[in-house]
Amino acid sequence: MAVPRPTRIAAFAAYEVRRALARKKVIAIAAFTVILVTAPYFILSTLGPSDVPASLFPFVWVVGAIAPFNLFIQLIGILIAAGAMSEEYEAGTAELLLSKPVSRTEFFVGKYLGGYFLLAVMITLDVGLSIVSASLTYGPQMGLETVPGLLVVEILASALFYSVAFTLGELVRRSSLAYILASAFVVSSQFIGTFLVIAYEITGKALYQTIHVYLPTTVAGSIPTQFEQPLLPSTAGRVFSLILGPSAGVPSQATAAAIVAAYFVVAMAISLGYFRWADVSRRVN
Amino acid sequence: MSATPIEFLGAVKQYGSKKIGPVDFSVEKGQILGFLGPNGSGKTTCIRMLLGLSKPSDGKVKLRGYDPIKKHVEALTGVGYSSELPNIQTFLTPREVTELAAAEIGLKSPGEEVKRVLNETGIIQYADTKVGKLSKGMVQRLSVAQAMIGNPSVMVLDEPMIGLDPAGTAHLREVLRAFAKDGGTILMSSHMMSEVEDLCSTVAFIHSGKLLFRGTPKEMVEKMLGGNTVRIEARGLTPPLVESIKGLAGVVGVEEIPGGLSINVRPGVEVRPALAKMIANSGSELLTMAEGERMLEKAYIEALKSGGAKAD
Repeated sequence: MAVPRPTRIAAFAAYEVRRALARKKVIAIAAFTVILVTAPYFILSTLGPSDVPASLFPFVWVVGAIAPFNLFIQLIGILIAAGAMSEEYEAGTAELLLSKPVSRTEFFVGKYLGGYFLLAVMITLDVGLSIVSASLTYGPQMGLETVPGLLVVEILASALFYSVAFTLGELVRRSSLAYILASAFVVSSQFIGTFLVIAYEITGKALYQTIHVYLPTTVAGSIPTQFEQPLLPSTAGRVFSLILGPSAGVPSQATAAAIVAAYFVVAMAISLGYFRWADVSRRVN
Repeated sequence: MSATPIEFLGAVKQYGSKKIGPVDFSVEKGQILGFLGPNGSGKTTCIRMLLGLSKPSDGKVKLRGYDPIKKHVEALTGVGYSSELPNIQTFLTPREVTELAAAEIGLKSPGEEVKRVLNETGIIQYADTKVGKLSKGMVQRLSVAQAMIGNPSVMVLDEPMIGLDPAGTAHLREVLRAFAKDGGTILMSSHMMSEVEDLCSTVAFIHSGKLLFRGTPKEMVEKMLGGNTVRIEARGLTPPLVESIKGLAGVVGVEEIPGGLSINVRPGVEVRPALAKMIANSGSELLTMAEGERMLEKAYIEALKSGGAKAD
């Protein structure tokens, strides 16, 4: 197998960013992110300033930086990843791009990284807007020196669902089906998690807790909180309990990181293996 | 490049119960091969195997001497491809599409090359218009333009004339002719027989997944129509002269066409000198004489009518 060339990978990555941005869905979701992240701060500060204890004012940025991660950011990742390969088949452009002297690995890696870069930008946008909105509504924010680390952690944790969606897009080669399957994966994990928490609260059985701990949404969602919480003063603790809600426990940071890595490796092995083996699908007419 | 540019060596593609192949033919350097066959006959499948987009179920395909699946980068280096339905990113401009193609082949400063191909294909004035806003003909030109990036030595063109206006067709014909004259090799699938006749030195005819004929357009005409055709344009043709032509050795039929005659001749028989002499002696005025022109379409239709049996 020829060694993938960085220049070709970079060309495909830049192309993927351009392609994803050209789709109005991604622009719409970016606009929605702005509203979702900023509006609650302004509404809450205008309508019920006394609802938030003053001791939490310097840490309210954490809510917007972490809370959307568990579902909203994952759905953005899915929207970007599920169409990365499948939409190329549907449009017939995969044929054109792969009829050049480029390896399939270069194409695959470039597309993956391009979409992932865009997701990283969206995560950064989310965190940045949270800080700006919190500062404007609740005054100066504290603990901002942890933001670069938090961004890295969130970006790495988002690889779990992003990789699964990317793989589904490659395997089913139909964007709408890939969106549905990948979204169902996230939402199901979230629902199952909720039911397991309830079951654990009622029965106290450790099995429910164990299953809950290893659910993909628990794993990915726990990483940013576990990273950020020890870095902030204990007064910020209430913010985290608000974000996390009722829980039957989370995996350790190391375990969570290992599970994300495992999902990434398995998903990539399946999708790259399939992509290298299978024929390039013809345009869907 | 020493290897044969394009080789199909018993290539087969099996799709469930449908089988394309075995296909055996090659295209030599400097040749333009017209790849003929009705819709669904397997032309695009063969092209996809050639480009390494689809794996042969059996047999081999070689592009520039390399297996396009196992040695994709080596095989596709110096190869340009224009697809049947120009599957081009509508959100890009022609400049961006060709720049992307240039990046794919590793051109470091593609500016001049991009200008050259857009200029040669006549779309330079639309270089910065989104592909989605271009006419079908312009998108077709762009498809050929991106295939020409980096001065390839082999071009694979799937229905390159579709959607082009007559001026565009004539322009592209000249571009392709110049490309072959410079030693370039072209495999071109087309349903436009007049273009194939004008451009191609050889043709390959595929029907229901089987390659049934490989030879020159003239050979195809002779095989399908049982002979060749000589067309003449002349003034003052008289019924006795037409009767005399019918009596010429090797002539099997004469058909009157506007301004002249279409004369069917047995395979391998040369009647043109005798014909010219006969017309001159009769006092008629011979304006033009051409052998085998515009007969490929008839031959093609004949081959289809016979379900490929005649070509086999």
